[in-house]
Amino acid sequence: MADQNAAAPETAAPDVSGLTKAQIKRMKRFDNPWRNPKLIWGVGLLLSIVALGILGRIFWDTEMVFTGSGLPRQAPVGIENMRGQMGSWAHPLGTDVTGKDILALLIVGAPNSLYVGVLASLIGMSIGIFLGFSAGFIGGRVDDVIRVGSDVMITIPPLLILVVFQAAYGDISLTIMAMLIACFVWQSPTRLIRAQVLSMRESGYVQMARLSGASTGHIMFREMLPNLVPYLFGSFIANVTTSIVTAVGLEVLGLGPQRVPTLGRVIYDAINSGALIQNLWWWWGIPTILLAVMFIGLLLINLGLDEVSNPRLRRL
Amino acid sequence: MRVNRMLPLATTAMAIALAGIASAQDIAREDTVIFDLDRTIQDPENFNWMTDGTGIRRMHGAHQTMWEPLFILNYGTGNLDPWLATGFEANADSTEFTISLREGVTWSDGEAFNADDVVFSAEMALSNEELTAREVATLRAQVASVEKVDDLTVRFTLNAANPRFVVENFGVRIFGSFLVMPEHIWSQAENPATFTFNPPIGTGPYTFTSAASNRAIWDRNEDWWGAKTGFQDLPDPLRVVFLESGGEESRAQLIATNQMDAAQSVSVGTFEAIGFQNDAVMAWHSDYPFAAADPCARQMEINTTIAPWDSAEMRQAINLIIDRSQIVNIAVEGATTASQTMFVEYGSMTPFVDAVVEAGYGLSPSADAAAGQALIEAQGWTRNGDYYEKDGETLDVAIHVNSASVEYTRTIDVIVEQLQRAGIDARSVPVENSVFWGEVLPFGNYEMTYSWLSCGSVNEPWTSMGRYTVSDVVPVGERSPGFNNTARWDGPEAEAYSAIVDQMEGMPLGDPAIPGMVAEAYGHLSAGMPFIPLVQSAKLIPFNTTYWNGWPSNDNYYNHPFHWWNTTHQIIHNLSKAE
Repeated sequence: MADQNAAAPETAAPDVSGLTKAQIKRMKRFDNPWRNPKLIWGVGLLLSIVALGILGRIFWDTEMVFTGSGLPRQAPVGIENMRGQMGSWAHPLGTDVTGKDILALLIVGAPNSLYVGVLASLIGMSIGIFLGFSAGFIGGRVDDVIRVGSDVMITIPPLLILVVFQAAYGDISLTIMAMLIACFVWQSPTRLIRAQVLSMRESGYVQMARLSGASTGHIMFREMLPNLVPYLFGSFIANVTTSIVTAVGLEVLGLGPQRVPTLGRVIYDAINSGALIQNLWWWWGIPTILLAVMFIGLLLINLGLDEVSNPRLRRL
Repeated sequence: MRVNRMLPLATTAMAIALAGIASAQDIAREDTVIFDLDRTIQDPENFNWMTDGTGIRRMHGAHQTMWEPLFILNYGTGNLDPWLATGFEANADSTEFTISLREGVTWSDGEAFNADDVVFSAEMALSNEELTAREVATLRAQVASVEKVDDLTVRFTLNAANPRFVVENFGVRIFGSFLVMPEHIWSQAENPATFTFNPPIGTGPYTFTSAASNRAIWDRNEDWWGAKTGFQDLPDPLRVVFLESGGEESRAQLIATNQMDAAQSVSVGTFEAIGFQNDAVMAWHSDYPFAAADPCARQMEINTTIAPWDSAEMRQAINLIIDRSQIVNIAVEGATTASQTMFVEYGSMTPFVDAVVEAGYGLSPSADAAAGQALIEAQGWTRNGDYYEKDGETLDVAIHVNSASVEYTRTIDVIVEQLQRAGIDARSVPVENSVFWGEVLPFGNYEMTYSWLSCGSVNEPWTSMGRYTVSDVVPVGERSPGFNNTARWDGPEAEAYSAIVDQMEGMPLGDPAIPGMVAEAYGHLSAGMPFIPLVQSAKLIPFNTTYWNGWPSNDNYYNHPFHWWNTTHQIIHNLSKAE
């Protein structure tokens, strides 16, 4: 026993002969919680979308997202469309009914959808962190106001309000759309952080900081916040997912930016132009796959982060 | 809101609606004819068509089955087919029209339809400014007085000579006609502008059964006057349903699966796809481009009171930048042609179209962006990067577009790209159908928009040209009378134009001087450019022959196929059960 304890994991390799495979695997789990396969896969999937955006802009003509860039209704390479025309390398993923290049739409649209989600979530989280800490740490009237406010807001279905708003204002930019969505994603982080802060407030190190005369801001953001990082990160990713779902929901209804391609907008155009009955599957199918990739990536990151911050989930 | 354009919602709504139809009463599918409705019935409880600018209180079946017109203009023969009236006479200078009504016509509640109803309805229109439907506004503008000669004869005295009076007001030339309302019911109303006329009655072979926001149901009146007097047989369908399909995809699915008999217009690609699934679906032509020519040519409406579009040069610049052939090829998939003038290019309009083109005012199908940009630069704009700027302001334009059809949004998408490429920061602002017709267009709440407001002429030039005279100019925020001159085009050029057009108004149809006058007036119109003619309109309307035969087509041309018009009485009477 004493020997085994003395050996550092990196140098313990010769000693594993007596262990089963499962046990070895279990040992390795202690290596570094951040080397979590779910997390790595999730990040990889999201990075592939970012890479699509970056590499696509370098190697592909993104001007082809506009109407009339090529022949309409072209199928992807090597596939025939309903009129018997063969898809070509000019438009590897085909074109829609107005001749927009699907590949270019994805290159521009997919990162745009991700951008809205990340931005909305960043804003929402910042509000949530600020309000959650204030409510939990300061307490009293401040707590009452914030708690009731977020409880009320959480009951309002965001899509309903956003649909009305966007229908009234028509064309809006991606950034404004993200800010609008942010108005509806701060409530749950506020509540969660408030709960954590309430329990943390009474812990020894906070009491100590208080006794040493640290300011409220210092205690809140320098002492307590770092302890919440994995937790905040998980909450952030969950919020990105919610924001993207909301944004895509609006886009699929034809709301949101008119001239800026997003995945939701491509799907809206496809539905609206009878792509299903015309069997233009590449028009709605490929963006749907990309959206699925994005959501699976976010889900994996979320699961991975859970395992990182909560060792019990690593099935040790 | 465009929520209702969403496929799943629409399909669910449809399933519920169809279930509702099935359970309402036992009328078999093969005895029912189902028409497509391209918009939501905003207020299904209200049947006052006279206060509705959008047409939905008529086109959900009311004026196709229940309310009949006096005459129907036959696009095939050019004649006025008599319906509730039997004929008319005009005096020598076309200022007095005497209309003879058909004998034996009754309302569905048994009351006789006669001259009292016509006189009452017309006088109601004349004395009520709040009745704003286009047909009411037109009648009000033209008629000085109306009198009953005897029970079946009515005389209209006009403000000015108008040889087109009957076809324009009572002949269903475009979409609707002035519909006569029953005096014995409407005279009970305190205020005709707020009267909802529910339950509605009419003289037609169908009576109202029920309506919801997405459908209206009409059942055959076995007691219809027309069958008793020998005017027409009872139509074959026992029930007529108008159902909101909610967009191209769902209307295509419905007609391909025989759940609908007549759809609204679809794109060429969608029609081909329907054909692959169901060979019982037909259109006007049996081959490319399938579509029937619609009398309303498309155009960009411009609000001439908003800078910088208050300058005729800027409007002309837009005209030069727009590439019409690209609109034809991309937005309409080759189903139509570029407009040369404001007029519909029917054979009967050729003399006037030719006169304008010969005078040098014809429009080019292709763009001359450089010339357009030169005009913009001459106005003091300089290009800085992507867009033109002047005094620190970017040259931008918001184009309002009705989101009810992909034809509209797609055309504007094409134009937005063309303007963007030329250095104008254009963007499209889609708005819901009722907002578009109810708020945006009539009150001038737009910079530019896509519509067909010079529509009207089909065999003479005045009706279209008369819609842009200075007498119809109202300030922004006030309702343009009958959607006329929503551009609010004013000034010396407009006055010169109006002088010639006003002179044309009273001249007899076919006067040899008219083409010359058209060309002269068009010179002013072309210089002022209060709107930009774009393309001719073609409607590809799928009809399903699984349950019903006798649909109109180029080979069976009893009239045009626009089944949301008041002329649809003829279509329904022509239907026969498929064997």
